[in-house]
Amino acid sequence: MRTFTILLQKEFRESWRSFKFLWMPLLFIFLGISDPLTNYYMEDILNAVGNLPEGFSVTLPEYAPIDILKASTGQFQSLGLIVLVITVAGMINRERQSGTATLIYVRPISFMALFMSKWTAASALGMISAILGYAGSLYYTSILYGSVKFIVFMEMVMSYCVWILFASAVALMFSAMFKTALATACTIIALPVAIMIESLIGQYWHISPWKLADYSVQLIAETNNEYYLKTLLLTIILTVLAIILGILFTRKNAAATKI
Amino acid sequence: MAAINWALIAPLLVIQAILLIVALIDLIRIHATNGPKWVWAIVIILVNIIGPIVYFIFGRKTS
Repeated sequence: MRTFTILLQKEFRESWRSFKFLWMPLLFIFLGISDPLTNYYMEDILNAVGNLPEGFSVTLPEYAPIDILKASTGQFQSLGLIVLVITVAGMINRERQSGTATLIYVRPISFMALFMSKWTAASALGMISAILGYAGSLYYTSILYGSVKFIVFMEMVMSYCVWILFASAVALMFSAMFKTALATACTIIALPVAIMIESLIGQYWHISPWKLADYSVQLIAETNNEYYLKTLLLTIILTVLAIILGILFTRKNAAATKI
Repeated sequence: MAAINWALIAPLLVIQAILLIVALIDLIRIHATNGPKWVWAIVIILVNIIGPIVYFIFGRKTS
């Protein structure tokens, strides 16, 4: 337990020094507030840059708060997620390649503490960013489109945090398995690309972790989704599985560190 | 065109400004980057939002 606390402190210090705790939340806040704003000013934007012919008129839909939160989630799931997983996918293997890991591995530490400390730091980073991003989105949504019940909003954010825990566990698992380039590629295929595939052909199945974010937003509408709990459960099981695999591979690949 | 409510837009501009300034200060103080420093300076200044973030992910050399 003591090694875990010390390693966790090291992780947080490192993330802080590389400004991760500054720019990641700022990016998510930016993504969160850009959607309510662009939709609100869509008419002005079209008039200013659209180069529309004389007399052309567009009827823009009336957005409900849930549509805007859905759009913000879409932003988090594409650009936000890509940036998050690229960062996380380099956490273990970059240390191995730079030789920093050697200094840690020569000491009698448990690889479980090592992996868990990194996972905790990565998830904390992702969750803080997502919570702040959603807070920004909700703030603008409630000003411009109408309010959302706070309880269901909290449910949605919590549920999205479970997805962040899953995403960082998967990214970290690949980071323990492969070198930086391959790990990044695998992670991007396993998370953002899988979400795209899911949105193309996902109507044939109902329970998959990649649907969790969509289901989370549906919580706002307070409709009963019979698949939600099963999806949540499956996501948690897969997260635990990814962590176990990650710890095993951290131990197996410890010899790969550069001296 | 309707008058733009600057109070609404301001946070977006503030976020962009913070990212730009922090990235530039870090670029000046860091001893070496992946690739030439002046290229990163151009990327940070010219590419909106994504520029500073790409610098933070790929530009910083940690050793």
